[in-house]
This record gives sequence, C-alpha cells and structure tokens, in this order.
Amino acid sequence: MNRLQEKAQGLKQGLYLHVPFCARQCDFCNFYQRPPSRAEVQEFIQGIADELDSEPPPATVDTMFWGGGTPGLLSPTDLRSLAESVLSRLAKPPAEWTIEMAPATVNQEKIKTLLELGVTRFSMGVQSFQEPLLERLGRVHSLSRIYKAYEILRQCGADNINLDLIFAIPGQSLQLWEQDLAEAIRLGPEHISTYCLTFEEDTALWLRLRKGEIEATAPADEADYYLQTWAQLEAADYAQYEVSNFARPGKACQHNLDTWAMQEWAGYGPSASGQQGQLRYTRAHSLEEWLAGLKAGKPAYADTVDLSPGILATDALIFGLRCNRGVNLDAWAKRFDMTGTALASQLNTFITSLTEDGLAKRNGSLIQLTREGRLLADRIGVEILELSS
Amino acid sequence: MSSIDHIRNFCIIAHIDHGKTTLSDRLLEATETITEREKQDQLLDSMDLERERGITIKSHPVTIRHRTPEGDAYIFNLIDTPGHVDFSYEVSRSLAACEGALLLVDAAQGIEAQTVANALLALNLNMTIIPVINKVDLPSADVEGVMEQLEEILAIPGDEAILASAKEGRGIPEILQAVVDRVPKPRWNEVDQVRALIFDCVYDTYKGVICFVRIFSGSLRKGDTIRMMSDGTKAEIKEIGIFSPKMKPSYGLDSGCVGYLVTNIKDVAEIKIGDTVTLHNDPAEKMLPGFKEVRPMVFAGVYPIDTSDYEKLKVSIGKLRLNDAAFTYQSESSVALGFGFRCGFLGLLHMEIITERIRREYDLDIISTYPSVVYRVDMTDGTSREVENPVNLPDSSEIQRILEPMIKATIHVPSTAIGDILSLVSEKRGWVEHTDTVDSQRVMLTAILPLNEILVDFNDRLKSITRGYGSMDYEFVEYQESKLVRLDIMVNAEPIDAFSSIVHVDKADSKGRMLCSKLKEILPRQMFKIAIQAGVGGKVIARETISALRKDVTAKCYGGDISRKRKLLEKQKEGKKRMKQIGKVSIPQEAFVDVLKT
Repeated sequence: MNRLQEKAQGLKQGLYLHVPFCARQCDFCNFYQRPPSRAEVQEFIQGIADELDSEPPPATVDTMFWGGGTPGLLSPTDLRSLAESVLSRLAKPPAEWTIEMAPATVNQEKIKTLLELGVTRFSMGVQSFQEPLLERLGRVHSLSRIYKAYEILRQCGADNINLDLIFAIPGQSLQLWEQDLAEAIRLGPEHISTYCLTFEEDTALWLRLRKGEIEATAPADEADYYLQTWAQLEAADYAQYEVSNFARPGKACQHNLDTWAMQEWAGYGPSASGQQGQLRYTRAHSLEEWLAGLKAGKPAYADTVDLSPGILATDALIFGLRCNRGVNLDAWAKRFDMTGTALASQLNTFITSLTEDGLAKRNGSLIQLTREGRLLADRIGVEILELSS
Repeated sequence: MSSIDHIRNFCIIAHIDHGKTTLSDRLLEATETITEREKQDQLLDSMDLERERGITIKSHPVTIRHRTPEGDAYIFNLIDTPGHVDFSYEVSRSLAACEGALLLVDAAQGIEAQTVANALLALNLNMTIIPVINKVDLPSADVEGVMEQLEEILAIPGDEAILASAKEGRGIPEILQAVVDRVPKPRWNEVDQVRALIFDCVYDTYKGVICFVRIFSGSLRKGDTIRMMSDGTKAEIKEIGIFSPKMKPSYGLDSGCVGYLVTNIKDVAEIKIGDTVTLHNDPAEKMLPGFKEVRPMVFAGVYPIDTSDYEKLKVSIGKLRLNDAAFTYQSESSVALGFGFRCGFLGLLHMEIITERIRREYDLDIISTYPSVVYRVDMTDGTSREVENPVNLPDSSEIQRILEPMIKATIHVPSTAIGDILSLVSEKRGWVEHTDTVDSQRVMLTAILPLNEILVDFNDRLKSITRGYGSMDYEFVEYQESKLVRLDIMVNAEPIDAFSSIVHVDKADSKGRMLCSKLKEILPRQMFKIAIQAGVGGKVIARETISALRKDVTAKCYGGDISRKRKLLEKQKEGKKRMKQIGKVSIPQEAFVDVLKT
C-alpha cells in the first residue's frame, strides 16, 4: 500500500447507479438511455446484482445517487428489487440517497416505496415552467404534471427536493428565465440546480441548431443569465455552493460535493462513472455491451483514466474552485504531496494574479473564487491544467 | 563562326502585357531557332510566378541564327531582361550586354512608366532603340498617339517605329531586318585582353553557379583560369557554351558573343552581377563601366506561421538565396512570432516574389513583418550606423539625427487623376519636382519620396486612384535627414516587437491609433482588462482597452463524469498552447498575423 492508498483510507465513499432508461429522449440530452422493454429492465436489474457481486462496494457508503436516464421510470417492484440488491451489500443505508425523477413518472406508490427504502432526496427535472420552452426541449411532461408531481412528493413526506432548471433555451428571454426562477422559488424546494443549455453533438436540439432552425444564446448574453440566477436565488435564501447548485442551509447535495472534492465513488450500470483508487472510469454505454462484459467477467469500459497523483491534484483544484467553499491550499498540498513543489509555487503566483484581477480571494490558505471568478471557472481550470503540464 | 560584324546583341524593353513573350516566340519561330515542341518545353521551364505576373525575374538569353533575304548569315543574341524597377541594376547590366533594344509598346495602352525608365536606361548606355508598336490590329489601337508619345517622352522619331502584331506575326521580318540594319555591331572590342560582362547568374544543383556573360573583347576557352575584376577572385572555367535556346557547351566564346560559363564557384554570393571577367594571366587593365555592388533596400522579418516549420523555412530560404545574391537573410527571433529570419530585398516586388516563392515552391505558411528600409543613424558620439530593424534603433538620447533613403519616382497617370495623385504624394511626405504632359490624356510626374512611404500601400493606392491605369517606377536618389521616431505597440505595458516600426513623427499618432484599434478588434478577451498602447519614446500616443472576458464557465450536469469535463478543458488548453505569451496576456499567433496582413 503506497502513501496515496493510505491517504485514500480517509476518503468519503459514494455509490452512483445509472438507470439507462427513459420514456423518450429529451432533445437536449446525450446521456445514455433508451425506452425499455420488460426483458431489458429485468436484464438490467440482474446485471446490477451481478456487477455488485463482482465489484462489491465498500461496506460503508456515505452517499448514494441514482441517476440516468430516469430511475423513476422503473416500477415500484423493480425499484424495490434494485434497491434491495444494493442495500444488501451495504452495512447500513447511506445517510444521503438521491434519486432522479421525471415529473411524468412520479406517483404516490412509487414515492412511498422509495421513501420506505431509504431515499432521502428527490431530484426532479423540471427544466422550465414555460410550456413552449418545454416543448422546445422535447420534454414529455406538461406543466400541470410538474405541479402534480411536486405535490405528490410533498404529500408523501419528501423533505429534500431538488428541481433542475435549464436556461439559455432558444426562444427564452432573461425575463422568462426570471419568471422560471420565481416560480421555482414559490414552490420552495430545498435545492435548485440551474444548468445552461449546451448543445451536445447528435442531440435533436443540436441538429436543429445546425440546420439553423433555432438560434443559440450568445455566450456574452449567457453571463446575464448566470448573474440573474445567482442574485435571484441568493435573495430567496438559496445559497450557491457550486456554479450550478443552490440550497437551503444544510441541504447541499453531499454526494456531488464529495465528487468534486475528489473523494471516491463506485459507479454501477451502463454509462456509470466511478473513481476508486488509481482508476477513474466510465462503463460501456450500451446495455448490450455492459451485459456482455458482465457475462465475460471482464468489465466493459467506455473510458478509463489511470489516476496519477498530478491528475487528482489538479482536478481537486479545478472542481474545488467551482464550489463556493473553495480549496484550502494547505490541505490540498498535504493531501497530494505538493508542499514545496514547482506546481505549488506556480499556483501561488497564479492565484495572486487572480486576486489582483478580482477573480479570487485568499483568506489564509483558503482560496475562493469571487462571483466574477466563478463566471470564468472554465478558463481558470484551463490555466490550472497548463500550470500542471 | 561569322565575323564580329555579323553579330547583333539586343534585348526587348516592354511593359507587362505589351507582348514581349509573344514577340520573342515569333522571332525564335521565324528563325527556326525552336520547334513547336521546344517552345512548350521552354514555357514549362520558366517559373509559374514569372508567367503569372508577366515579369521576368531572371534573364533568358538565346542565340538566334538569322539569314537575311540576301543570304547573309547573322548571329543574334536576344537577351530577355528582368522587367521591374526593383531589379533596375540587373536590368542595366542586361542592357549593357547589348548594343540595341527593341522598345515594344502596346498600341492601345501607350507608353508606361516602366517602359520609360528602361528606355531611358538604354539611351543612357548609348544603345540604339528600335521602337516597335505592337498590337496594331486591336480596334482600340492608337498608332499615331503612341508615335507622338515616343517623340515627346523619349525624343525618338515616331516614323522609326515598326508596326507589328506579334500575335498575328505581322512586322516580324521588318523587325529582323531592323536588327541587322540598325543595331550596331559589337562594341568595345578594341581592347586586347579579355573583358566579359557577367549580366546574370543562376544556381544549378549539379553544375554550381552558371554565369551569363557577354564577351566584349578577347576570347574565353574551357579550362582558362579567369579572374573577377571587382575583387580578384580566381576561378577555372569548367564549362562554356551558348544558349540555343538551352545551354549547349562549346569550346569557347569569342568577342561579341553571348553565352554562359561554369566555374568551380559554388556560391552565387561570390559572383557579382556586372562584374568583369578577365584572364588571370593576362588581365585587362580596366573593368567594363557601370559596375556597382547591389545592396538590399527593403528589410522584413519572415516567420513561419507554424513555429515547427522553422527548419523547413531555413532550408527554403537557403535554396532561394542560392539563385539570388541580391536576397540576404539572417536568423532572428521575435517574442510574438518566434524564430524566423530578417530578410533583405531589392524592393517590395522582390520581397513579394521571394515570399510568394517560399509559399508556393516550398509549401510553407509564412508571415512577414512590416517592411522597413535601411536608416542611417548618426550618433551623438560621432559614429554612424545602419538600422534595418526598428527594434535595433538606439535610444533617442544617443541619436544625433536619422537619415532615410529617398527615391525619385516616375509616375504615369491619366490627367484626370492628377489632383488625387498630388495629394497622395504629399500624404506620403513627397513632393513633385515636375510634371510633363505625355499626351492629351496622360501626364508624367517626377516626384521625390521617402522609400519608406511607398513600401506599404503606395502602389495599391496609385492603382485604385487611376483604376489600374497608373504606373510607377522609382530609383534611389539619396539619404536625407528626417524626423523619425520608433513607434512601439504595447499590450499591458509589454512591447510587441513584431509591431514596432520607424515612422515619421507626424505619422506616429495616426499609425499608432490604427494599430491599437486593429488589435482591439482582433485580440481575444482575457480574464483581465487589457490595455493596448502605442508609444513613442515612453510617451503614450494612442490607447485602447479590451474589457475583461465576462464568462467562460459551463453549468452542465455531469453525473459524476469528471473525465468528460476534464477533456473539454484539455481541449481548450491545447488551443491555448498555440498562443504567444506577452506578459500574462495570451495572444493567438493568428492575431499577429491578422494585424500584419492588413
């Protein structure tokens, strides 16, 4: 066991499970999913059990996240058997357990089952409260369905709800976005995530953009959306804790925070990503390929990265600085053995220049980006990558 | 071999597109010097660039055997001279190799500035000029008008002109007869010792340097040990021969002949155009007249766009230099552009030709910096130095005065454009010495201008003012004191060396403002504010600010997929790698290129 492995002993452990099914593909989404057949759902559930067998999770898992796809698309029975096969391998249910739901898939029975199983957090992809924009995104739910789903969640006793919203949608104005935010605030979820629409290659939306049927928001204008979001949510007591994430006190998503802090998490299911020990991986995207890998006893990956200490160290900075809590440079240097290295000193110079430009502030060894800095987080990330290369 | 009385050496003086190539071809055909097939070959041999621009960069001598209708055999040496003002010294040497010149004028276009310049050169060399009015078959031909121009501008009687249409073969026998009758027999043969003029040279991978020579007196034979009279260089003749039209070795060349010689010299830099060749053991006393050392007048940095092409550029430039002693280079480096070369050229066209050849023949993407002339700087300590790169201009406290090269320009324009041309000349810090009426529609201005001022857009402006009808020719006259300063461009207080230039004090402001605003358009926003400044001697004269980039962040759901996000950043990083760092500002090289291009 080397020193890094020793250090890894103290890392938080997460578990991510990817459910690759959706009723239909949204026009903006390029995550792997497909409309399921009964047989495929069963193969998937069995596959997860097999995968857990061949790659058991750590006995204690701090957080769990079921994403997709639409995990909520599965029936209560399927959800239960999936949950049981995971929980049976854990010493105790995780303290935080998030599941993603599409509004159309929310019903009382399902929510009750999930709460009973130990789900603590529901994340619902609302995207917009404007019917025409929902259509533009190719979402299947109607506006009324959103309100209905939210009501069911609350009625069943869900006390930690996240709503996902998307901005910079073609046809959306800053004013419409303001209304969306106001509407989300009015509903009063514990957590709000706001994502800027990106045109991922080969999505329906991307094709329409390419054909010139729709027009993307100019990057310069996007800044206004970000700033509007941050100001409006802040004013409504949703504290920003990451570029896209806002929560009531104590309601930040711990699972994601751990991910960004380069803790460890095991990923299960097609397309799931994980990071454990020296390996960062994304599993094979297609259900068939994933199943074939399981059958052959050889995990099928779409991508793996051998995690050198340098990669983890820079990623801890890049993703850490996107979070409002920032990065403690002393702790960082200690964790990654960077004390006195060339990178540490270059980083110091770089941060000094960021603070001079009003993009970061330094408080002892704690470095946090300012609002202006957060708007440039990608550029700052690129600079950090450059320092480390 | 015929006696010297039956040799005629002549050239053709013509403006671009006035039909020089067609006329040469007709003369070669009429004398059965080349067959159809050979003609094709010969065309293929010449450079694309020459054909495209209609200019001759290298001389193409050819020996023609002509029999008159009376049955007398003559040897004609036709020397195709370089046709541009940048090469005026080379032109003068080619002309000096001849006793006569066919002055070819387009019947529709009339006499152009370049034609005048070269005709005057020929007249100064006491050459006989045979005017040929070409393209007389064109509906727009104005034969009378051209004849008047000949008389007015060159004092050549109009009725001496031969009317021709090289395209249709009209006038060819008359021209051949005129060469026999009017071009004097070879001159300067009264000296006993060998005197041969080197009027051009080319580099051949196998043979080394091939010198084109005109023998004035004596004879040269293969195996002779010769001496270059300008510096005493000794060499042995390995091969000697004539152009028929390709190089054909012979036992030797006699007085009055034109041909080539190959020696053991391998570097064109050792051969000086205009030099006199004599025998080492029996040298002539005096050189042939007119020799001078050619020196580059215009300098610019030449850089590869892709910095990894430096070695390739070095090889290409070296090869071009082999064939062109007037082109000089030495390596230099620039913060903005990386490693490249400071190159010296005879003039702007020479520079264009060289850079274009690097691009085409060596398939290299290059950028050249703003061209600069050679300034003479008199220092306060009494010494004097030459500055060809603005970066090397000494501190103003050490400078007593700066002198810049002045040129005398001959500008031919339609009379209607005269007002605009006068303002162009004065905008370029020049003055018109005199104006001559060419005919009812055209005038010829003689103007004195700083060479520096015509480097960038003078010719383009001239062409646009005159809708393409104006033409210009120039020659260096003298160095003159001028109020010159170095204009520096700074990005966040860091100077960008590639943009420094030496300008007249009155022009510093406008040029500084122009460069600043151009950079403002082109530079990508950074995480911080960028100040672009133009300065002269520490004083800021123009300023632009690029506000900081507002947003470069993605808010996307990654579902724990750190790799994907990281890859996006890696990609951006790769893009940044190709940028140059000026202080902490990253500037894509394309930005420098864009500014320099415009």
